[in-house]
Amino acid sequence: MVARAKTLSADEAFLKRLFRSYYEKWNEKPPKDFEKREFAFMMTKEGEMVRHKSFSEWSEVKEFLRRNAPLHVFYSSAYYLNPDAPDMDSKEWLGADLIFDIDVDHIPTPCKEKHDTWTCLNCGFAGRGMPPEECPNCSSKRIEVKTWFCDECLLVAKEEAMKLIEDFLIADFGFSTSEITVAFSGRRGFHVHVESDVVKELDQRARREIVDYVKGVGLAIAEGRGRVLIPPLTAPGWFGRVSRGVYEILSGRSIDELASSLGLKATKKFREGVELLTSSLERAEDFQALPSGLRKMWKVLVDKAVQEKRCEVDERVTTDIKRLIRMPGSLHGGSGLIVTKLSVKELETFDPLRQAVAFKKGYVKVRVHEMPEIRFLDDVWGPFRNEVVEIPAGLAVYLICSGNATIVKGGVRAC
Amino acid sequence: MMFSKVDAAKYPFIKLASKLVEDFDQRLGLEVIASPGSDVLKRSVERIREAVYVKSTSFFREDLDVEVLSYPLALLIVKAVGDSRLFNLYAEAEKNRVFLNMLSESSSKVVALARDGFDWEVLEDGGKLKLKFNNYLEVAPALLDPHWKLVNRSLRYGYVEVSKRELARLIAEAFRSKILKRIEELDLSTVPGFLKPTVDMVRNEVLSALPKADINYEVSEFRPSALPPCIAQLLKDAEEGKNIPHMARFTLATFLISIGKRPEEVLEVFRRLPDFDEAKTLYHLRHVAGEIGSRTKYVPPSCATLRTFGLCVSPDDVCSKVRHPLAYYKLKLRRIQHGGKGKNAVS
Repeated sequence: MVARAKTLSADEAFLKRLFRSYYEKWNEKPPKDFEKREFAFMMTKEGEMVRHKSFSEWSEVKEFLRRNAPLHVFYSSAYYLNPDAPDMDSKEWLGADLIFDIDVDHIPTPCKEKHDTWTCLNCGFAGRGMPPEECPNCSSKRIEVKTWFCDECLLVAKEEAMKLIEDFLIADFGFSTSEITVAFSGRRGFHVHVESDVVKELDQRARREIVDYVKGVGLAIAEGRGRVLIPPLTAPGWFGRVSRGVYEILSGRSIDELASSLGLKATKKFREGVELLTSSLERAEDFQALPSGLRKMWKVLVDKAVQEKRCEVDERVTTDIKRLIRMPGSLHGGSGLIVTKLSVKELETFDPLRQAVAFKKGYVKVRVHEMPEIRFLDDVWGPFRNEVVEIPAGLAVYLICSGNATIVKGGVRAC
Repeated sequence: MMFSKVDAAKYPFIKLASKLVEDFDQRLGLEVIASPGSDVLKRSVERIREAVYVKSTSFFREDLDVEVLSYPLALLIVKAVGDSRLFNLYAEAEKNRVFLNMLSESSSKVVALARDGFDWEVLEDGGKLKLKFNNYLEVAPALLDPHWKLVNRSLRYGYVEVSKRELARLIAEAFRSKILKRIEELDLSTVPGFLKPTVDMVRNEVLSALPKADINYEVSEFRPSALPPCIAQLLKDAEEGKNIPHMARFTLATFLISIGKRPEEVLEVFRRLPDFDEAKTLYHLRHVAGEIGSRTKYVPPSCATLRTFGLCVSPDDVCSKVRHPLAYYKLKLRRIQHGGKGKNAVS
């Protein structure tokens, strides 16, 4: 132990000590059938992942966390006969939870221009906002991204999660709230876990169908050469969802705004089309034929409605039946925040920089490389740029974990 | 709903059918049931012949016991013949039979078959049938017409609305998968010695009747090692005579034609498919190649479309650089021609 402590940097030693203190008081409930799951840990930032662990008693998990204070803790969404077998084939898959990952990194939000930056590691070209897939200057794909926490981004993630749960998982798929758990991912999003016998044995193809459903992929409502039908507002599934979406777009804005938002001209024909479509949607009790001449307009409206009603989830996570997922209740080593377990109700008012903060006491002196203005607990801090400041321990942990600050010699007092 | 022996004879997947087979097996044993010259053995061979020549099996009403018992025996013989093309062909034929039979049943009967045979949760709500979504997803992803995609279905509170015909189709597909699974699991050591002459006879007859495919790899532009994983898989499935869905056939046909194969050559690829019809297939291929009809030459779907249709399998490092299977082929071909880099694909 002593030998290892020496090799740790001051930052790592500081994090280890705080993480250990967190896990000493840790009393999270076990996930369903935890003894059939694989656990995996990352002990240090650069180290390899320790995999294929399994535990038969929950107290062993607690003991392991206390003893090792890992930076990252994962468990498998899958249940196995032999969760500790060293290769995937001999684990013998028994089933898996259905997992959805909503991450602001994958959703364009206007505020990213303000707080996210990216740099090409190849040529140094840099920009703000969502990172491009490849560098526009040299086409390299080695792009480093610096993202920041922001209330606006978080709100978008929350809305996406609410939409997923209420509109899709409950209304369409018929899950009950007791089968659904939400966890703050620890960074900029949420994980939604569905633990139910109905989904346990679904294979990858079936899960892909579910992802496509949630994302509106492959929708054929406005496609085809034959007769196009307008679904009633109350129709089940995407049929009613699309009609409601179109209706919401048509109502609630002026005809000129509507035309420009659709990229169409507000001609007399357009005006009449809008009126005809609106009244058709209001009247319809069953599927009805699209009035002639409105095919193009309907298509544009449906596409727009789908964009608004679909849910942006990471399809790779949901279709992977052997995924490792962050354990709710553990700490995220990239932010020091708690991967907070939330009920559907708690999600609405959840404030991570208050409720996911593990270390609420004490102050620490750190050198901050760069930080925009951040509200943390009840106070606003920053912006800082290459300066030594005394800040709350939890904020310091957040900055050190994300590589934006280092501890100053003698900067740690009781915390 | 109570099932009768007629039902057990028509629908081998219901519990009553298995029970009848079990009872006979215990009372008489396989040796008596399938003795040389027995009606059961004859009917079993007939079932296989029907599958090969007519693509469906008939329903033998004269003796229901014989009909019930001939199904598991036919499976045993098919397994012993040991040709994967025959496995697929047989499963396809039994599927067609139960599907057609179900079309003339009442809704309630079809619902009862789904519940009894596959433990599916089905609701009869007014005139509507509703199938639990996880049961629906056991089968529907294999059916590639867009209207089977979950996103295009009426899904509410966990149930998918289906018509009677659709439910029958789903049951038939589930039965097909069940047959293939059963054939795979059958233990050949349970095939008694006295069945050997029958198995040999069926093998000789059937294998020569199964169409042989002779795929010509000599075309200069055609390099199998440059094929993207999705196309390689489809080609393999076609060669094994699997019943690949429409979208898969379209993809394979357009891809091969796009890289320079003629419709007549592509025809050979499809020859082993269970429902192969030379005239029809050639017509479609000529159409796709732009030789007839609208004269539009079709190109294969993009990677995104293939992903959505579940045809994208084990993508490799080259896949991450392209958005279209043809782009993959061109890139890989270039790599092979300039230094053989393509051979060390990362898995």
